[in-house]
Amino acid sequence: MAPVNLPRTDVVLIGLGAAGGLAVLPLARAGLKIVGLEAGGWFRSADHRPDEIRNNIRHWPHAVQKANQEIPTARNGRDGPPLPRPDYHPMMNGVGGTSLHYWGQSWRLMQWDFKVRSETIRRYGVSAIPPGCTVEDWPLSYEELEPYYDKVEYAIGVSGKAGNVQGNISRTGNVFESPRQREYPMPPLRAAGFADHMAEAASRLGWHPYSPPAAINSVPYDKRSACFYHGFCGSGGCPVNAKNSTAVSTIPQAIATGNLKIVPYAHVIAIESDAYGRVTGARYLSDKREYFQPASVVLLAGYTYENTRLLLLSKSKAYPRGLSNNHGQVGLHYMSHTRTGVVGLFSFDLNRWYGTPAQGTALDDWADDNFDHSEVEFIGGGNLLVPMEAKPIEAANMSTFGKAPRWGSSWKAFVRENAARWAPVWAQISTFPFEDRFLDLDPAVKDSLGYPVCRLTVGLKETEERAMRFMQEKAERWLREAGAIATNQLPLFPIGLSTHAYGGTRMGENPERNVVNGWGFSHEAPNLGILGASTMGTSGARNPTLTVQALAWRTADYLIRQWKFIAE
Amino acid sequence: MSALRFAGTTNAEVFTPNERHCLEAIVSRIIPADTNGPGAVEVGCALYIESALRDAYRSQKSAYSAGLAALDSRAIERTGKLFAALDINEQDRILSEFELNTRVGEYQDSAAFFELVRRHTLEGMFGDPLYGGNANFAGWDLIGYPGLRMYVTPELQRMDVAIHRLRLSAKQLMHGSR
Ligand SMILES: Cc1cc2nc3c(=O)[nH]c(=O)nc-3n(C[C@H](O)[C@H](O)[C@H](O)COP(=O)(O)OP(=O)(O)OC[C@H]3O[C@@H](n4cnc5c(N)ncnc54)[C@H](O)[C@@H]3O)c2cc1C
Repeated sequence: MAPVNLPRTDVVLIGLGAAGGLAVLPLARAGLKIVGLEAGGWFRSADHRPDEIRNNIRHWPHAVQKANQEIPTARNGRDGPPLPRPDYHPMMNGVGGTSLHYWGQSWRLMQWDFKVRSETIRRYGVSAIPPGCTVEDWPLSYEELEPYYDKVEYAIGVSGKAGNVQGNISRTGNVFESPRQREYPMPPLRAAGFADHMAEAASRLGWHPYSPPAAINSVPYDKRSACFYHGFCGSGGCPVNAKNSTAVSTIPQAIATGNLKIVPYAHVIAIESDAYGRVTGARYLSDKREYFQPASVVLLAGYTYENTRLLLLSKSKAYPRGLSNNHGQVGLHYMSHTRTGVVGLFSFDLNRWYGTPAQGTALDDWADDNFDHSEVEFIGGGNLLVPMEAKPIEAANMSTFGKAPRWGSSWKAFVRENAARWAPVWAQISTFPFEDRFLDLDPAVKDSLGYPVCRLTVGLKETEERAMRFMQEKAERWLREAGAIATNQLPLFPIGLSTHAYGGTRMGENPERNVVNGWGFSHEAPNLGILGASTMGTSGARNPTLTVQALAWRTADYLIRQWKFIAE
Repeated sequence: MSALRFAGTTNAEVFTPNERHCLEAIVSRIIPADTNGPGAVEVGCALYIESALRDAYRSQKSAYSAGLAALDSRAIERTGKLFAALDINEQDRILSEFELNTRVGEYQDSAAFFELVRRHTLEGMFGDPLYGGNANFAGWDLIGYPGLRMYVTPELQRMDVAIHRLRLSAKQLMHGSR
């Protein structure tokens, strides 16, 4: 059956998650008519119950109708063995996307993250760039993105304490942060006993602890409640709308303009293009019927794996190797945060049960280029975080620190005494793109519709392993200073399938090495914009979403300013 | 279509009586009833696992059948009796072998099977009672989890505080106290 042809619109947006759900606000305010195609449905706040089994163990079985059909595969190197395929996709389907249940940590990148290549060469020489690394400076600077960080922080609502307002350093904020034009719209999330305890220990070591910024309300904001600190926030949606997903912040405001129409349960299967290489709209399935939504501009915001996959699946005369892929760049420069950590056991109760993981204590002393790398043989570094919130299954499934077996009566006695006495320190470490790490279509594994799933080609680099071990050592020192009586290193989590997946449609001025230009529009299909961390060329040592959202706003702003040039 | 549509459930029997006894015997060794309170069987872990295998964990049913059969055949080979009929020391010995995969051979995935059952037993013991385990909140009492509450005061996040325990499941919390 031929697809049902729908009336034309200005912009068709694919995916209403953290990125797409943010971009709709400036676009709708500017008077553009947007159709938002979203694979998932709407949630009510009452759907978000504190339920560790549903949210953390079974990974939102009620909201991954599409994602779980297309879990990417991975292999270790081009000729390497396939890696085990997880049985769930880390992201979700719903209006608001993964911002519905993310932790809400809302960091900015640092100036350095935008200039890794030139700054590394300047400070350490060209040999400090690891062999095979394809890192470039971003086509924009931190200063150019700063106004958009600011807009997003105020539009969705971010709680935090500034460490650097226009060059004025505050020791109660993050002293390493790059300059901001003003304070956060809300004070930081509330202090908590154990977070304070860890901050004091870090200060004794001469480090610079701070309370990390979060898109969670510390006070009522925009008619939404302040956080109730009930826990179950890590991978949980918020029953009182204090977590500022796009579903409760920007999307309702965009809908109120009358310019945004959301089509839930619309599963986009291809972006169409004409003989001139311009995109013409999106083809989608809804309730087993096929529709074509024509539009002057297409914005793709389905998260890194789907952004890459949809381009590669959307072949046409103008794009025989996949949309916007005539330079063979789609899928390249893939990376994800490497992560590791250390858990510590204490001789007293920490009371981490309640709160939210975004409410802990963080450190940037060992992140980015905040310390001298002359002796360490890697570039970049990690952010250290001690999160609040311990859910019961997670707490009981603790390391036994070599002090007890893993089951039986003596294990039971051990967890009885110690389930409330341990805590992790997480290290999230910058990664960089390499020639031999990329995304493409799996030649064998298909989704439920018969389309190939995304395949990751990955592999750990020596420099990354060194960085992870370096961070473990810092985490261990921190825990010991805080009084831990035993510590246990967590595994090294290398690049792989991730909630922090970068690259695939990298941003840069040179079309030979990048898919989108410095504004987020395709070098090849001029009316195709791409939103999400798939456009980012470095990861920084912090979670991506605020940067993704600042970039999305900037792309939307550019589209509004250049509408005639791009759309007509 | 609703965002909250779950996979369909049926009431078909998941286990044969033998399989059920074997599973109960395993989970009661993983978390035994003792002076520290009720164990996994008493709080409903076996029921939790059986009902999960009926829907959310459907795809793991075959791993259970194979694993339980392997455990029973190991028990029979050694003693002529089914696993559930052994004394607890013998049960523990066989379970340790499974956990550590010390006897590779007739059943390759013994460590994976042990981890699967252990993981699900912890879910049944420490998960929300609305899933059929953690009866009388005994799992939460064991580890001192102070219970679900919708609003948590700043005092309740201090390190030195004694917290009054609440006993509500997520369903009761959402429908009751707001
Ligand atoms: C448990 C968890 C915790 C996290 N914590 C943090 C944190 O603290 N801080 C942080 O910065 N980041 C965090 N992240 C990462 C964060 O969620 C992502 O960076 C962010 O959601 C990415 O935004 P996105 O819009 O690209 O993707 P998403 O938010 O996933 O949105 C993509 C949307 O597109 C839809 N879609 C996909 N394909 C199609 C298609 N073909 N047709 C129609 N619709 C489609 C999806 O249904 C989805 O709604 C976390 C992630 C997880 C899973």
